[in-house]
Amino acid sequence: MNPFEDAIHAGLPLEGVEIIDMHAHLGPYYNMHIPASGAGDMVRVMDRCGIRRTVVSANVGWDTDIVLGNDMMLQAAAAHPGRLYGACMVNGNHPELSRDELERCFARPEVLIVKIHPWGTGCRLDDRRMKGIYEFASKRGLFVLVHTWYDGDPFGSQDLFAATARDYPQARWIMGHSGGPCGSRRAVELAAAVPNIFLDTTLSMCPARQIEFFVKEVGPERILFGTDNPFIDPRPQIGRVGLADIPLAAKIDIFGANARRHLAF
Amino acid sequence: MDRLEYFDCNCSVGRVGRPLLLDIPDAAGLKGEMAAAGVGRALVYHTVARYGDPVLGNALLMKEIAGHPGLDPVWVILPPQTGEMPAPDKLVEDLRRGGVKAARMYPGRSRHGFSLADWCAGGVLEALGAAGIPLMLETESVTWDEVFAVLDRHRGLPVIMTECSYRHDRFLYPLLGRFETLHVEMSRFLGAGVIEDLVGRFGSRPLLFGTNMPVYTGTAAVSMLTYADIDRRDKEAIAGGNLRRLLGEAGS
Repeated sequence: MNPFEDAIHAGLPLEGVEIIDMHAHLGPYYNMHIPASGAGDMVRVMDRCGIRRTVVSANVGWDTDIVLGNDMMLQAAAAHPGRLYGACMVNGNHPELSRDELERCFARPEVLIVKIHPWGTGCRLDDRRMKGIYEFASKRGLFVLVHTWYDGDPFGSQDLFAATARDYPQARWIMGHSGGPCGSRRAVELAAAVPNIFLDTTLSMCPARQIEFFVKEVGPERILFGTDNPFIDPRPQIGRVGLADIPLAAKIDIFGANARRHLAF
Repeated sequence: MDRLEYFDCNCSVGRVGRPLLLDIPDAAGLKGEMAAAGVGRALVYHTVARYGDPVLGNALLMKEIAGHPGLDPVWVILPPQTGEMPAPDKLVEDLRRGGVKAARMYPGRSRHGFSLADWCAGGVLEALGAAGIPLMLETESVTWDEVFAVLDRHRGLPVIMTECSYRHDRFLYPLLGRFETLHVEMSRFLGAGVIEDLVGRFGSRPLLFGTNMPVYTGTAAVSMLTYADIDRRDKEAIAGGNLRRLLGEAGS
């Protein structure tokens, strides 16, 4: 008996579970039309499907200006307290500015995690200019969300990601997109080998049985719910987790209990 | 409220050489994925027809889905000039005799190696249009200029674009504004708010429920639709009514 099944098929917000979206964005982006990209739009869509909290980084942050992106993030979090939280965007091409941004953003309690987009910035995870960022995250025991895309990403492959997580064991590392649609097998191998790695559910090309595979291989405790909202609408991910063939307790973990265990919202 | 009745326009059977994760090769496996998502009926092509040989794959499809109610065949076709497929009129006759609901084409040098232009595929496109048999094109195997040309030259031909992603709105919207024969399959059409936005501009008519099962899970497309902020009638149309109408099925 799946208590979420009827609600999902009826299009009703899920009850009895706190849903926390750990991987989301904010605002427009240059190569796509995003109909619901504003903070208010995002909260409205969250309400449709029962997502209580979302951690956001602004889309403009990784290709252009991290300061502008972080400003947008801070404004959104301030405008929607208790609903939107911040991921501070950093860029290894601007190491001093990134350190300044970390100090500025983490002075605000609604900023919870660090976001790195190696593909967008073109700065490899093992670039020595990243060191200050990693030291900041390690010292505070922060979650660091990294965009990963299996072997096709020379800047942030899964293996580069895992090596960085190994080098900085005090931080907690979220393998964004779990390495992409072809990255599932490598993702669970690396998560099994490196205890401070977390997987996330964020994908547009959602392989059949991927959630079941992750739970079977690494257990539910290190799988975090993520959506890519508003790049990708968050509503598909509700069905993907809520209708997965896994125990109810695992769904509750993935939807939000895992994030809640580690973060003070 | 009753659950939506899903008629999925984008499913497959057959082994894939490079699976995203699991290889679910047969009709029974597909039916299992459909059941998990609550999908009762699907248009199905064979992976061998797409990645191997269309003629062989189409024959394998008919064997594989025989005895599986709820799975309707889609053939992968080629232009006739090389003799691998019959002349257009005969091809349409074969499609009808086999109960084939739609045809897929994969043009371009890196796919099946032919052109969609009239000098190559015009005859078969004309025949499909005259018979009202929808043509399915995968977004990655055609350019949007080619899609425009097909829609413009073959006004009666229903075209279903599969695998449209959240990056395609700026191509799609101008075409949707000009051609009522254009349809969008939604397995990857997952941009935030896009269903509400598209329905608000063009109505629900262009949208067709699709999942790409068993490569993808069907559960994502299901909740994209159930949670959409649109009328129930529009959800029913997208879930299956539009496709049934396109296929000329009574009562749709």
